[in-house]
Amino acid sequence: MVTAETAIKVRGVSHQFGEEGDRSFVRALADTSVDVARGELLCLIGPSGCGKSTLLNIIGGLMEPSSGVVEVRGQQVRGPLPRHIAFVFQENSLFPWNTVIENIELGMIFQGVAKSERAARAAEALEAVGLKDFAQHYPSQLSGGMRQRAALARALSLQTPILLMDEPFGALDEQTRMILGEDLSVLLARSRKTIVFVTHSLGEAVFLADRVAVFSARPGRIKQVIAVDEPHPRKPEFMTSAKFTSLRNELYGLLHDEIRKAVQQSAAADTAQAALGRA
Amino acid sequence: MVGKTGERPGRDALASRLIQVGFLVGLVVLWYLAATRWGVNRLLLPNPVAVYDNLLDILQSGEFIDDLNTTLGELAVAFAISVTCGLTSGYLISRSSYWIEVFDPLFAAIYSIPIILFLPLFVLFFGLGPASKIALGASISFFPIVINTIAGFGHVDRLFVTAARSMGASDYRLFRHVLLPAASPVILTGLRMGFTTALLSIIGSETLASLAGLGHRIVHLAEAMEMARMFAYIVFVVAIAVTLNTVVSTLEARGKRN
Amino acid sequence: MAAATPGRRFAVLARRPWLARLVVIAALFGLWEIAARWFVDPLFLSPPSQVIASLDKVFGTRGVPAALQLTLFELTVAFVLAVAIGLVLGLAIGLQSLVRRSFFPIVLLLYGMPQVTILPLFILFFGIGAASKIAFGVTHGMFPVTVTVVAGVQNLKPILLIGARSMGASRWQIFRYVIFPHMVPSFFAGVRLGMSGVLLGVLLAELYVSIAGIGYFTTLFTQNFDPTKLLGLIGVLAAMAIVLNAVVRRAEAHFAQWRTE
Repeated sequence: MVTAETAIKVRGVSHQFGEEGDRSFVRALADTSVDVARGELLCLIGPSGCGKSTLLNIIGGLMEPSSGVVEVRGQQVRGPLPRHIAFVFQENSLFPWNTVIENIELGMIFQGVAKSERAARAAEALEAVGLKDFAQHYPSQLSGGMRQRAALARALSLQTPILLMDEPFGALDEQTRMILGEDLSVLLARSRKTIVFVTHSLGEAVFLADRVAVFSARPGRIKQVIAVDEPHPRKPEFMTSAKFTSLRNELYGLLHDEIRKAVQQSAAADTAQAALGRA
Repeated sequence: MVGKTGERPGRDALASRLIQVGFLVGLVVLWYLAATRWGVNRLLLPNPVAVYDNLLDILQSGEFIDDLNTTLGELAVAFAISVTCGLTSGYLISRSSYWIEVFDPLFAAIYSIPIILFLPLFVLFFGLGPASKIALGASISFFPIVINTIAGFGHVDRLFVTAARSMGASDYRLFRHVLLPAASPVILTGLRMGFTTALLSIIGSETLASLAGLGHRIVHLAEAMEMARMFAYIVFVVAIAVTLNTVVSTLEARGKRN
Repeated sequence: MAAATPGRRFAVLARRPWLARLVVIAALFGLWEIAARWFVDPLFLSPPSQVIASLDKVFGTRGVPAALQLTLFELTVAFVLAVAIGLVLGLAIGLQSLVRRSFFPIVLLLYGMPQVTILPLFILFFGIGAASKIAFGVTHGMFPVTVTVVAGVQNLKPILLIGARSMGASRWQIFRYVIFPHMVPSFFAGVRLGMSGVLLGVLLAELYVSIAGIGYFTTLFTQNFDPTKLLGLIGVLAAMAIVLNAVVRRAEAHFAQWRTE
């Protein structure tokens, strides 16, 4: 359910790594602005290195932008906002020495949830992602898909209005991604969270998002924003519909040149690196 | 790449270098002050200047030559013995996974105890001369060499062996062109470990029970309470040990690169 | 292969390497026995049968049980101190990047130094009693602990720190719930190496000079050309070392459970 209220305001954000003249200098983001409405799922898609993950980290307060401002629910972001924003990362971000339920409770300890509430919230979150029977397992005992479910459960248990997800299904195989995508859509239809979701997958973007922001190659800026007008929860049949295909093709058209550009950029960087190594 | 803006690794490296040097210089200054101004007993802590003078004297007079020869000689013989025995038995054992399973834990268990414990036995048997040091040095340094040789040859991918055999490789060819190159990084590490343990064991056994050699010299000076000269020899021996170990490590790295 | 009698015997061994190991050990003891009995002057070597039979005489020698107790005491105190100091030093160095870059190379240098060269110094500083043995054991045992603790703190995956920060963890919470549990398996690996170091240090110091410890008796038995008692004593000490190492290895396996990647 998308309302007129703006949850996240990104204004003129650019970011660079290193100083100009450094070997490792990278201009990641250039003058990016976008608004995310409350209850909306915005997808960020673009070629590798275009700065979408950087933007996500900046929105979440994990990084300070080189210039520009981010406002979340009216206040400027200067650091992590654990009560407003929860992250789901691509990599295995669960603590390997804790069980699934210990991981979830630890998230709440960090956030500052009262001890009496933790158990109930954890159980609820596990139920929502379908991992109720795996509470006592260690992450190393779970498959990749289950680990990401657990990471999602941890984020959900924090009960934040905003979720930032950085290619959460990126390391998983196609079939697991499809199932998790469908489950996520069902979950989100119930919860009305505001979500910013980074992905490489065109199909995933169209299936999950209310709007898709397409990034250019580095230095990244938003090339275009495409709307996906389809109610949540999205049914599996949506994926084979004509609307889906035409949207996906539109995305592909926008992205193709940028992806080529990005490949050339990285090939140039590799040659430069190798030359330096040989020197 | 998420990081706090403001981390500058280049500046950190300089700062840490300065702190290191400052710390070490500070220690030497403290040493000097303790020995000269603060009345620490000269029989416990000699004047660093005196130590330096003694060191120069030792080097210039060549007094160290006999002891150095003894120690290095023992080291050379002990290492030669342990290398020969270690490589040979390691290779032979590695030819069968059964024997690997029998001997590997055995060697690991023996190596885990301080074999220097057996020094009195070697002294009883060989006397206080170089023979007991050589025997102990060889015994101790045998183990890292044989353990690593077994690991090196034993873990060569069977696929390589099968491929080579299918192309008609003889035993010798197989060894020279497949097994040896595949196993050499691990074996080289074992040789380096064997060398450092041999050196340590020999200096140690010279300290405990000997009539000659660098370890013995230090003990002799301690008993005579010639503190400054003893410190000078300690510096000398540590320098020799560090040099030898660095040389061996470099050889190991060089060997691995090929 | 036909099930001929010798074939079957080997088949039994073939399936049980531990049995073959015992056979090898027995064979070595057998060789020792033969050599000591018929080939070597009894002044220099005793057969194992005699050594084992005379063990009670070793313990009966006045002062030996007390010496063994003293050695065990020195080992325990040195071990506890080495682990404690190593842990504190490791945390102090590992947690702050500038401190680590400055002091870790110094620690590594000291770790690689032939400490036996300064053994006479330790005796001069700490005397010929238990203190010097303990001190020497501590300096041998603390460096592996420090080095592994620093490594355990360092190789924490950045994503885990980032995740904790994003959930609002305070600096203390990060240490207590993220850095510390992550470092525990490395710490125990260091403790295992530390035990070997402590054993080496204490025994080296004992063998160098000892008035009431086992070093006194090894010297005594050596000077009296009594290989039987000497072998007996060394055997007991070796057994002690094996047991202590095994205990520490068990502890390590128990606490490093989650490292099953």
